Amino acid sequence: MTNAARPSPIAWLIAPAGLLFVLFFVLPFAVMTAMSFYSGNPVTNPNAFLTTRHYERFLFDTAGIFHEALWSTLRIGLVTTIVSLLIGYPLAHWMARMQSRLGHALVLMAVIAPMLTGIVVRTFAWMTILQDKGVINTTLMQWGLIEKPLPLMYNEFGTIVALVHIYVPFMVLTLTGVIGRIDERLEQAARSLGAGRLRAFVEVTLPLSLPGILAGSLLVFALSISAYVTPSLMGGTDVLTLPMLIAQQVGTSFNPNFAGALGVILLLVSLAIVVAYNRILARLAGGQGMA
Amino acid sequence: MSAAPNRRPFDAGRAAYLALNALLLGFLLLPIAIVLVFALNPTPYISFPPVGVSLRWFEKFFTNAEFMNALWLSLWVATVVLVLSIVIGAACALALARGSLPGRAVLTAFFMSPLMVPAILTGLALFQAYLLSGIGRPVWGLIAAHTLVAVPYVIRTTLAVLHNFDRRIEEAAAVLGASPVRVFFEVTLPLIRPGVFAGGVFAFIVSFDQFPVSLFLVVPKGETLPVVLFNYMKFDLDGAIAAASMVSILLALSVVLVLERLIGLKAYVKL
Repeated sequence: MTNAARPSPIAWLIAPAGLLFVLFFVLPFAVMTAMSFYSGNPVTNPNAFLTTRHYERFLFDTAGIFHEALWSTLRIGLVTTIVSLLIGYPLAHWMARMQSRLGHALVLMAVIAPMLTGIVVRTFAWMTILQDKGVINTTLMQWGLIEKPLPLMYNEFGTIVALVHIYVPFMVLTLTGVIGRIDERLEQAARSLGAGRLRAFVEVTLPLSLPGILAGSLLVFALSISAYVTPSLMGGTDVLTLPMLIAQQVGTSFNPNFAGALGVILLLVSLAIVVAYNRILARLAGGQGMA
Repeated sequence: MSAAPNRRPFDAGRAAYLALNALLLGFLLLPIAIVLVFALNPTPYISFPPVGVSLRWFEKFFTNAEFMNALWLSLWVATVVLVLSIVIGAACALALARGSLPGRAVLTAFFMSPLMVPAILTGLALFQAYLLSGIGRPVWGLIAAHTLVAVPYVIRTTLAVLHNFDRRIEEAAAVLGASPVRVFFEVTLPLIRPGVFAGGVFAFIVSFDQFPVSLFLVVPKGETLPVVLFNYMKFDLDGAIAAASMVSILLALSVVLVLERLIGLKAYVKL
């Protein structure tokens, strides 16, 4: 491969970022991977030996919790993604098609505001709403609609509700960009040719926004399978996800080697998703270019 | 939809569309409003409906040494991260956009990758590296970790501005006799400032609200505010958490308003 232009002196400005990333990103992940193949800490413990036993422990899962944790991580991620899409799409469509600049700015503020609120705070907000003495249960009981509180929290349901709330803005922002770039005249043309509004949307706008749907879903899925705060606060003892398992290994079991192996597994799963979706996106973009 | 005249007979489809969106906006905003209600509600546990207005939870938050230490640590770390990531990120973006580097696309993707890797794993990997190298868990280690996840935001917003602006402005300055150094300081730098600032705001908020990266890197008594709140919430759900939440929401909001004042919201969203 030949490079037409030689790097200019400005290229040196990359050095600080390069150093930061090598020391605090590449190296640590290499260390984590190496640790996952050791029986102990190879620096302090001279008897530590190379082993694949941490991966075997996960693979054979004699305790019967690891596969379940992986499965519930993926299940929660998938449901969160689908619900986020169902909630995010109408909002994104509304924003992308809004004529009024002020209205657009206000909705944008409303979508961004939750993003600027930390995960811990937003999870707390949902705890106050969904717990037994929370907003929903108290109101329903006061109206006499239910006798005892509904189990809205400390289970997968509560976890997913809070996760959706946290990640919907990412979906909306991704989709708004894509829908905004679709020429509105295409939909108008379909309508003037006799298609109803719904049909024009389903047959024109929706298919054209597919890349945005995939990109937004990728983002939300990747974010929700790595969530820790929300499942551990909202899930109670009912929910155990891979990130929670990792934190347990570091915090209570103090087994950083096994935690490393779990980390490598989670990393591989999320990288596989990222690569797969990028492929789909690239193919879609290519197909559109040819059309 | 575009030239929808105001005076059309009642349109049920349109009304349903608007009602649905209003509902969804409510879903996004109501939880935050509810936190405010609980922050002001005087009962000792979270209960609904509210019975009055008091500032006792704010008082509890601001007089609690543990909360205050954590708040100051978080503010201090976020400020250092803001400065570091602005400098490192803007320099990196300039190199990527103007440095004629080989493999630019790959490099850009590499510098964005902390956003693609699960944050809790970045925390875990750094924890392992610090453990193995025996440096313990110093505050600078936490700052380096936060800077790593904040720099991509600055790179992204700065790159967006660099792609948008007209290179001919720089060329004109050079043609008129400005040295490259002068072109950089008097033309390029002022032009990319909005992008850098926008990235800086992201950097501050990413650090201030950071939980997963901090989780394994903080020491007891040296925990950041989100970690302290998280640990508190596991056992206690009183109004102090709501008050703390309001304080961090107001902080984030004021940062955004300052940004809006400085450069306008549009530059902020155009990533």
